[in-house]
Amino acid sequence: MPAIQDIPETVFQDTVTKAVQEVFSTMMGRPAVPVASIRGTPPDSVELEHPHVVGTVGFIGVINGLIYLYLSVPFAQECAGHLLGMSPEELAEAGDEVVNDAIGEITNMTVGTFKNQLSDRGFPCRLTIPSILRGSRFSIEPISSATRRIYRFDIGGHTLTADLLMQTGE
Amino acid sequence: MRYKLLTVDDSKTVRIIVKKAFKLYDCEILEAANGVEGLAIASKETPDVILLDVTMPVMDGIEMLTKLKSDAALKSIPVVMLTAEGGKDNVLKIAKIGVRDYIVKPFKEDLLVQKIGRIIDLKPISDAVTKAKSVFDPATLLVVEDKPAILAQIQEGLKHTPWVIQGVTTTGEAIDACGRAPVDLVMISLSLPDDAAFTLFRVLRANLKTKYTPIFGLVVKTDALAQQQAQQVGFTALATKPLDLSELEAKIARAMNLDTSERYFRTEPDVLVMKLPENCGATVVNEVASHLKAKIAEAVDSGLNKAVFDLHEVKRLDMNLIKFLLSAMQTCREVALQFSLVGSGAIVAECKAYEDTRSWHFHETLEEARASFQKPAAAVA
Repeated sequence: MPAIQDIPETVFQDTVTKAVQEVFSTMMGRPAVPVASIRGTPPDSVELEHPHVVGTVGFIGVINGLIYLYLSVPFAQECAGHLLGMSPEELAEAGDEVVNDAIGEITNMTVGTFKNQLSDRGFPCRLTIPSILRGSRFSIEPISSATRRIYRFDIGGHTLTADLLMQTGE
Repeated sequence: MRYKLLTVDDSKTVRIIVKKAFKLYDCEILEAANGVEGLAIASKETPDVILLDVTMPVMDGIEMLTKLKSDAALKSIPVVMLTAEGGKDNVLKIAKIGVRDYIVKPFKEDLLVQKIGRIIDLKPISDAVTKAKSVFDPATLLVVEDKPAILAQIQEGLKHTPWVIQGVTTTGEAIDACGRAPVDLVMISLSLPDDAAFTLFRVLRANLKTKYTPIFGLVVKTDALAQQQAQQVGFTALATKPLDLSELEAKIARAMNLDTSERYFRTEPDVLVMKLPENCGATVVNEVASHLKAKIAEAVDSGLNKAVFDLHEVKRLDMNLIKFLLSAMQTCREVALQFSLVGSGAIVAECKAYEDTRSWHFHETLEEARASFQKPAAAVA
């Protein structure tokens, strides 16, 4: 079983890209286009300029890790509205909880699709329950033993950031 | 019978998507947020099918599935996994416990409905707003025909109706058209190459969106074999070429269960008017006859005691129409409803040729007919 550092970068890049594209295409009917920086050196931190909704789901098994999906608040609201068939007014009335749940589910599906590909490559894992972070003045830092990869996508003019943190598990 | 579908998922979002997916179908959606709630609802409600997530707090989907399968009262309920857990090993492990199907998230609502539709006989809600109810309501008819002249003939012949006639030439285009927007009726040419009409029929019947859509076969009058084959597989009706457009229109209205009575009957403040169209073939006569007693009863019930049979547009009189008119007159007499006739010179002349109709007295206009009720003379001589 290879260690994480022995797995080529392209495997993670392709796996995350496929997961994001599949979820947004199937559930939202929108293509997710990897932005140019993904081909260069990935950024090593996520800087937030505006309020964001961040969904996170972990995976536990041969590889342990977490994926954070960063969406600006308007993008998160748009996604929730589309997914639930609700107008902006209905969504505003329903409150943040509904948006949080929708972003949690999008993250769950994305990490699930990512994890299923890893499992089929011989790295079986299980998913954890989703959670949500909201705000603009926070940063997520990995511990020193974890590896980090950050990928960005353009989805209909909005930016989706996928922050992947991993370390070898069981 | 209203089917019950239980969705067990800790995500409210997924439960809302499930409800949204089935909102046009006659089934009740029950919800549970984890395995414990799911088992409790399953015991109480005995759903017809369960949609089950795997990763959930309190009790996960695998534990709930195991408990369901060990409960004699619940083990026969079909379970469909709806989960992000889609790795081959996971799927195999869960399949061994016993599930009917497996849907990996992300999923399209159509796929969900299609898979559940294989387990329970999902039916669209009958009063769905998309369905036309009256012959004056808009509807979409899809004609699958590779001969442009036939399509043009149908479009021309039905242009006075509020129906939109869409034409396609291949089965692929027909399937796409049915997937894009609801279609109220499909007409397929049975002479499409390679038995494509029958293949398309099967595809449409297997699809929940078109499972109950009326499907007509367009067939040459002399092609008895194709007609027999179409009847055997279950085509709703056949329209034979050369097409009789009036007959086709009546068949379409009947297949779509449209109320056609307004086309022939109207109630004015003092009189019930039954107006017959120019072409009064057997189909039209049968259609009018099917509404006659109810319309007369309705008129009498609302206090009317006069009726006018308006035949001024009718070009020809045949035995079928005469029999119908005699029967209508008899019905009026039974409920003491006075009646009079309006007809053209041609019809009056034709009536003179038959023993049964020789004594009929026609007025030239509706106003004259209405005025005749004031006079003591009988409407029919």
